Amino acid sequence: MSQFVKEISAGDYQQEVLAAGVPVVLDFFSTECPPCEALAPKFEAVAEQYAGKARFLKIYRQGNRDLAQQLGVTGSPTLVFFDRAGHEQGERLGGEDIKRTAIKAQVEALLA
Amino acid sequence: MTTRYDLIIVGAGPAGLSAAIYAARARLKTLVLDESVPGGQVKTTHKVSNYPGFPEDIKGTDLAKAFSTQAERFGATIRRAVEITRHDLTGPVKSFELDEEETVEAPAVVVATGAKPRDLGVPGESKFKGRGISYCATCDGAYFEGKDIHVIGGGNSAVEESLFLTQFARSVTIIHQFDHFQAEAATAEEARSNPKIKVIWDSEPRAFSGDKGLERLTIENVKTKVTTELATDGVFVFIGYVPRTDLVKGIVPLNKWGYVETGEDMSTPVPGLFVAGDLRSKLFRQITTAVADGTIASLAAQKFVKQHARPAPAPAVAPVA
Repeated sequence: MSQFVKEISAGDYQQEVLAAGVPVVLDFFSTECPPCEALAPKFEAVAEQYAGKARFLKIYRQGNRDLAQQLGVTGSPTLVFFDRAGHEQGERLGGEDIKRTAIKAQVEALLA
Repeated sequence: MTTRYDLIIVGAGPAGLSAAIYAARARLKTLVLDESVPGGQVKTTHKVSNYPGFPEDIKGTDLAKAFSTQAERFGATIRRAVEITRHDLTGPVKSFELDEEETVEAPAVVVATGAKPRDLGVPGESKFKGRGISYCATCDGAYFEGKDIHVIGGGNSAVEESLFLTQFARSVTIIHQFDHFQAEAATAEEARSNPKIKVIWDSEPRAFSGDKGLERLTIENVKTKVTTELATDGVFVFIGYVPRTDLVKGIVPLNKWGYVETGEDMSTPVPGLFVAGDLRSKLFRQITTAVADGTIASLAAQKFVKQHARPAPAPAVAPVA
């Protein structure tokens, strides 16, 4: 388990995401998903950089199907950004082309 | 911090990794950069049936791993998930800044950045990306268990991936702009005999719509001009690729479709800059042709390095003989 990115399940969503009190980035990932593997080290690096300021979480799609459906997430990886009040903000990032700088830009906007 | 190499290869797909295998075996200090994990488009292909040496189908992800393992065995360094934040490819020493924090340089560079899936450019597409529209069946197929989905396209990728998607979906309807598949005959036959696959010929998508997620797909019959709205649970798009030329745009000639024009030895007008694989202007884009390009680019780059450049310091880890 990573030091900076915590894995949650749907049962933790209310507490870990909506009631976090800090900006949250939630990564929906799947197995057999090379773009998810590619995202992991970038996500980890950004999480380390913002440790203590924002929360970086990941959730396994296959094990948390209902939550994915509720949020309308149908692709992996998908990054969903939440502000301190637990409201989704900004653009969801997905697919193979997620850049470290793009994640950082959205986190900066949430912290501003 | 700046690290010097003999050869830097951008893109760890079949072209880039073939170039790396040849360069590392020639004892060049070789670095491969990729913004993702190695494999290029191969890694998200569910199976490969036409790559010589594998009499049984091989999973794309396994072939990708075999390519990168082989390159690393000979001493090439592969940097995964790195972002090139600055680059200068025009001078005698070509440099890249990585993740805004370090610099790598070399006298020769092979750009093998390949191509990425083409967008449809249809209203609603960007809104529903990841909310019902997908470009990767191995990644997202499992989201559509028991659902009725649509696939746009009729080439090898579209038909192969439709077959893969029948494992999950209740039905797969292929929307194709022509009245026959462009896919290989063997694949097309398999699709036609699969009871879960239906085909709507002569039609193109015109719009995507829905309230929260994707719910409806509008298509137009290109012969009759009749438009139809279809209910859908998800759409997979496989309509070909566009070259990734961001690194070399403006410094090498592109053809009218945006692919890089190279010499037969993969050289460009910029000394020491070589281009290999799917971003090149050529007739056929296959794993086999990418491998050939990478091989040629690597051999030409080795010749260039020997003639023009002072070698980099010996690798810290001795390559395996």
